[in-house]
Amino acid sequence: MNTNKVKGIIKRELKDKLFAKSFIIMTLLIPGIIILSIGIQAWVNSYEEESASKALIVSEIPGLTKEIKEEFKQDKSIKAKDYIISYDEMSRADFEKSIKKLKPLLLDESLNGIIFIPKMALKNKELIYYSKNPKNRALKSKLGSVINNVLVAKYFSGRELNKADIAFAKKPIDFNSMKVSAEKIQEEGFGPEILSFGFTFLLYMGLMLSGTLILRSVIEEKSNRIVEVLLSSVSSGDLMVGKIIGASITSLAQMFIWLVPVIIIFSTSWFMLPVKFTFSISIWEWLYFFLNFLIGIVTFLGLFAAVGAIFDNDQDAQSGLWPVMMLIMIPFFIALSVGNNPDNSLAVWTSVLPFSSIIVMPARMTLVDVPVYQFVISIVVNLATLIVIFPIAGKIYRIGILMTGKKPTWKEVAGWVKLKS
Amino acid sequence: MHPLKIKNLTKNFGELCAVNHISFDVPENSIFGLIGRNGAGKTTTIRMLMNIYLPDEGEIIFRGEKITPEFKDYVGYLPEERGLYKKMSVIDTLLFFAEIKGKSGSAVKKKAYEYLERFELLDRASSKIQDLSKGNQQKIQFISTILHDPDFIILDEPFSGLDPINTELLKDIILEMKGKNKVIILSTHLMDYAEKLCDHIAMIDHGKLILHGDLEEIKKKFSEGKITVIHEGDISFINQLPYVQKVADFGNRTEIKVNDSHHTQDLLKTLVERNVIINKFSANETSLHEIFVELAENTGSEQLKGEF
Repeated sequence: MNTNKVKGIIKRELKDKLFAKSFIIMTLLIPGIIILSIGIQAWVNSYEEESASKALIVSEIPGLTKEIKEEFKQDKSIKAKDYIISYDEMSRADFEKSIKKLKPLLLDESLNGIIFIPKMALKNKELIYYSKNPKNRALKSKLGSVINNVLVAKYFSGRELNKADIAFAKKPIDFNSMKVSAEKIQEEGFGPEILSFGFTFLLYMGLMLSGTLILRSVIEEKSNRIVEVLLSSVSSGDLMVGKIIGASITSLAQMFIWLVPVIIIFSTSWFMLPVKFTFSISIWEWLYFFLNFLIGIVTFLGLFAAVGAIFDNDQDAQSGLWPVMMLIMIPFFIALSVGNNPDNSLAVWTSVLPFSSIIVMPARMTLVDVPVYQFVISIVVNLATLIVIFPIAGKIYRIGILMTGKKPTWKEVAGWVKLKS
Repeated sequence: MHPLKIKNLTKNFGELCAVNHISFDVPENSIFGLIGRNGAGKTTTIRMLMNIYLPDEGEIIFRGEKITPEFKDYVGYLPEERGLYKKMSVIDTLLFFAEIKGKSGSAVKKKAYEYLERFELLDRASSKIQDLSKGNQQKIQFISTILHDPDFIILDEPFSGLDPINTELLKDIILEMKGKNKVIILSTHLMDYAEKLCDHIAMIDHGKLILHGDLEEIKKKFSEGKITVIHEGDISFINQLPYVQKVADFGNRTEIKVNDSHHTQDLLKTLVERNVIINKFSANETSLHEIFVELAENTGSEQLKGEF
C-alpha cells in the first residue's frame, strides 16, 4: 500500500463528505427524526377521538349512577371535556324496550355507546355494552375502570370496611421494575428502552447514510470515468481502502456528534433527570459500541462499494442493493423487538451472529447485562466476517470498476470472485 | 536504445483475446500513434501500459526496467472520456490529481496556476468543474495529465471536443513535451491527427498488431504505385489497362493503383492522349486513412464487441 496516495484519497473523501453542507444537515436532521418518530408513536398510542365521546350509562341498581358521576369527577386520568355522559336508572325490562328507540342515535353516532349495568353486576361484574363499533376499546376501558371502582366500593360498603380498605381494593397493580446486576440492584425506568431504540435507529441510519454515500461516490467515479484517471495513479486496492477510511472517519464523527450530548446528559449531574429516564451504561459498553460500529461500518462500506462498482448508474445499483439492505434491515427490526425479551434465544443469537450483531447487540446491552464472553464472541465474529468479506468485496470492486456496458448478472459477478488476479 | 519496449503483450478476458501477442518499441523523442478502431484493443493495451491490468503474457520495459506499480507516478494519462469530479473546484482538482501522483506542495501549486494562465483559465481557478464548458473541462483534464511532469504521457483522443484555437494550443504543448524527451503515446481513431503529429505508429485490429514502424517509411511503402487524379470527364476506360490493379472512383476524383511505380508515367501519357482534362495528378502519395482502410479490409472479419 502506498500510504501517501491513500492519504490523498482520504483527504479528498473527507473534504467531499465530512466538510460538506449536506453532512451537517443530515447529522442535525437525524436526531430530530428520531425524536419525532418517538413522539408520533406516543401520540398515536394516546390518540382518542377528537370530539368528545358521548355515552349513556343505564343502571338497574338504584343510586349507582350518582356514585359513578362522583367517581368520574375524582378520576384524574379522565378529562371531563372528553366525555359527555348521560345517566339513567331503569329496570332491565324497561331498558330493553327503550333500546329500540335509542338504536337510531347509536347508528347516526349522536351516541357512541350505551353501558347497561344489570343488578347482577354487583355479584358478577358483567355489564353490557351497546355500540355501532363495540371494538373501540378506548371508551369501554376508560368507563369500565370507573364503573369497576364504583362497584367495588358498593360491594364492600355494607361490610364494615373502612375507606382505606376499599381504596386498597380499588387500586390496580403497579410494577416497580428493579434492575438486578452483579454490583447492585436499582430501580429502572424507561431510560434503557429509549436508549435501546436510539442506538438501533442511529446504527441503522449511520450504516445506511454512509453506505449510500459511498455507493453514489463509486458510481460517480465509474460513470464519469474518473476511475480511469485515478487508477492511472493509484492501485484499485489503495483507492478502495482510501475511500473506505475516509467514509469511516466521516461516519464515526457523525456517530460521535449524535452521542456526545447523550453521554453528557446521562453521565453527568449537570442535568437533573427524573429517575424514570436514567440508565446506566459503563465506559466499556461505550467503547464496545464504537468499536462495534467501526467494524460494522468498514464491513458494510466494503459491500456498498462493491455493489457500486458492479453497476454504472444509480437505478441499477438501487435494485442490486437489496441483499446488502436486507443485512441491515432484518437486524434493525429484530433490534426494535428486542425490548420484549432481551434474553430470548432470537435476541441472544442475533446479537452474536455476523452482520446482525452490529445492530442487535448494542440494543440488547442497554436492556440486560450481557455476559462479557458474548461481547467477545460478537467482536471476534464481526472481525472474522470483515476479514472474509473484504477481499471478496475488493475483488468485485477491482473488476467491476473498469467494466462498462452491459449490466452484469450475479453469476458473472460470482465469476469475478473466482478469477485469480 | 528505445525507452519503451513492449514485448509479446497478451490479455484475455475469458474466451475473448483482447490483446494478442503485441510487440513494438517506442523510440526516443517521438510521438507514437496507437491506432485502431473502437474495440480493437487500444484501451486494454493502454491499461496494461499503466499497470491497471496485469498482462497474461509478455512484458513492458521502460528505460531498461520492467514496470512496477511505482511506474504510475511517471505516467500522465488523458482518458478518452473525461473524468473529473463535478463538484470539486478547478484548483483542488489539479492539486488532488498531482497529489495522488506523489507531487504536492507550493511548487506544484505554482505550476498549476501557470498552466491555468496559459490555458486562459486563471480566473476560473476556484470555479467548480461543473460550471465550466466542456472544452474548458477538457483543458483542466489535460493540465492534470501533465502537471506532475510525467516522463511518459498517454493521450487518448486528446482533441475531441476542442475548438481549433485550443486544438492548436494543445498541439503546441504536445510538441513542446516531445522536445523535452518525453515519451508520448497518442491513441486515436482519427487518422488525420495521427498523420500530422506522429513519427511512429502501431496499428491494432482485433487485438493484433497489423502494422508498426516509422510513419514516413510506412507511407512510402504503401504509396508506391498509388495515384490520385482529379479530372473532368469519363475515365472508366482505365479499368482495361493491363498495368492497373485497382480503381476507386469518387466522381471527380479517382484513386488508382498501378502494378509498379514506373507505370505512373504510362498512365499519365494515356490520360493525356485520351484528352482527359486533368486538374491534379499526384503520384506515390497515400494517407494513413487509406492505409488503415486497406489493411482493415484485408484483415476484416467481424468487429469485436465492447470496449475493455
